Amino acid sequence: MTNRFLTHENLSKLVADLVAANTRVIAPVPAHNDPQKIDYATIQKLEDASFGTQLPRRSAKEFFLPTTEVLLRYRDGKNGFEVEEVPTTAKPQVLLGASPCDVAAMEIVDKVMNWDYRDELWFGRREATTIVSLLCSKMDDTCFCTAVGLGPDAVRGSDAMLMPIDGGYFVRVVTEKGEALFKNYGTAQLSDAMYAQARKSGEEAHKKVETNMPAIPADFAAALARNFDHPLWKTMALRCHGCGACASVCPTCHCFDIVDEHDDAQHGVRRRNWDSCQTQRFTVHGSGHNPRASQTERFRQRVEHKFSIYPSRFGEILCTGCGRCSRTCPGGMNLAEVVGEFRTLAVSAQEGSAQ
Amino acid sequence: MNLYQPHLMRICEITDETVDTRTLKLEFRDPAVAESFKFSAGQFGEYSVFGEGESTFCIASPSTRKGYIECSFKAVGKVTQALRRLAVGDTVGFRGPYGNHFPLDLMKGKNILFIAGGIGLAPVRSVIWTVLDQRDQFADVTIVYGARSVGDLVYKRELEEWTRRSDVKLVTTVDPGGETPEWKGMVARVPTAVEQTVTSVENTYAVICGPPIMIKFTLPVLLKLGFPEERIYTTLENRMKCGLGKCGRCNIGATYVCKDGPVFTAAQIRQMPQEF
Repeated sequence: MTNRFLTHENLSKLVADLVAANTRVIAPVPAHNDPQKIDYATIQKLEDASFGTQLPRRSAKEFFLPTTEVLLRYRDGKNGFEVEEVPTTAKPQVLLGASPCDVAAMEIVDKVMNWDYRDELWFGRREATTIVSLLCSKMDDTCFCTAVGLGPDAVRGSDAMLMPIDGGYFVRVVTEKGEALFKNYGTAQLSDAMYAQARKSGEEAHKKVETNMPAIPADFAAALARNFDHPLWKTMALRCHGCGACASVCPTCHCFDIVDEHDDAQHGVRRRNWDSCQTQRFTVHGSGHNPRASQTERFRQRVEHKFSIYPSRFGEILCTGCGRCSRTCPGGMNLAEVVGEFRTLAVSAQEGSAQ
Repeated sequence: MNLYQPHLMRICEITDETVDTRTLKLEFRDPAVAESFKFSAGQFGEYSVFGEGESTFCIASPSTRKGYIECSFKAVGKVTQALRRLAVGDTVGFRGPYGNHFPLDLMKGKNILFIAGGIGLAPVRSVIWTVLDQRDQFADVTIVYGARSVGDLVYKRELEEWTRRSDVKLVTTVDPGGETPEWKGMVARVPTAVEQTVTSVENTYAVICGPPIMIKFTLPVLLKLGFPEERIYTTLENRMKCGLGKCGRCNIGATYVCKDGPVFTAAQIRQMPQEF
């Protein structure tokens, strides 16, 4: 892959050309209802975007797994119900300036979406999207991407990454898709100074997050599974309202509901909607029995799923350390703290067995 | 075809099992699907009423019979109540078959003890008929089936048929107080009936399904009789939406009922966290 250098004008031209070619360009922009905050949204020109100011309120998952989407349309005809499939191919789109934590999440969630059964609706959008991340400079003390093996400079899931340097952007091209997007823009003539500056900004960004949390060890998944019945879950869950806000802003939470909606007596749609394991009705049986009857079980499920169940099934943590759940939680819960508590337990158990 | 696209099926027969339990016989509207559709006893599917939603049940008919499937359900929620309003000729959706199945290959040449309670007979019935359709490949077949009352027994015509067959030993039982003056079966709870019926566990597999309370009290009886945990099979239920390992509902710790199950051995269940 060939790295490139783009001036701001080059990037602006790229966005203009994409928009002219009817390609949807999504970037962080000031939120329409609160310009102090940032959301991912469609832009018409580069000037609409707000790069590097703060982490968007929600992750970018809605462009791959929409908050609500039609799975099929049905019609009650003369010979009974007929079903119309929805296309699984999506229109080309470019996600520009996304946070590396949001981008890495897509590749992690790919695993469950391809678990024996391939979810073509998800992969249709994945394939149609070119993802250009932006070296993160928006970290705060809630971030812990480096603890889960990522980082503000991690290119996982990116087709290319923009790294701001003097006079424009160093573009680290990662995939063919990224190469195709940038090949006619800027220059491939890169000086040693450009490389050095890009590398340095990456390393500096990395260091800023590293101090927030030490890396989560591989045996943490097993330690968490062993502590399934630990009384700490109950104490910690006391702060949980069961609102599901954490799951809503999370880049890796992907649980969903499937429901039917009438348009009229003869027509309607079956939809997939975002859902959350934190809500009380999520697992309730027809009989009324609920295997996750209290908030303790529901809160434990979310943490175990991310740090124990997903690693045991797919070999990696279902969390990119973006910290959104902690920033958003109305009960002031902090995932980093929860992980910290169980790490302490795991370490003290090890020391206990060593003695 | 996207994953969530159901097959269209026509209701061709409706049987009322009890006051609130009904069996639907469904045939594929597309003859090509009817021809190619295969499943194994123990697998489940997502049944849907268009406009109301999807619901998860096992396939209650045997895998040896082609061209149709059956499901038995109690009208307890939105979808099951809507299913109950449907008539012969109406269309429902079906996605499946999903999940694993009972290991009939392992059980060939062996005795099988079937134990079921209430509507828990539905998945067991699929295995029973699959076995009876290939009767010469299995040794003794014993069925212990119980319900709260005589009125709660499902598949009554089939119970009569199994009673008449000389190659099946059927014991039916109802809970004390649930009997009628005409009742000829046992009056005892299922665990007691099992204790009084089973004499040998030699060369035998157990297949058990019923309410959690019944399973809870029957398992110790089976273990006491000498069944190894690995030869006791049951089927679990949990709320599901996708049936495909994606929607996040049915897992018990790291075990997904939809993909690792729904059929598990008692040994596997003992190792699961107590969250089901």
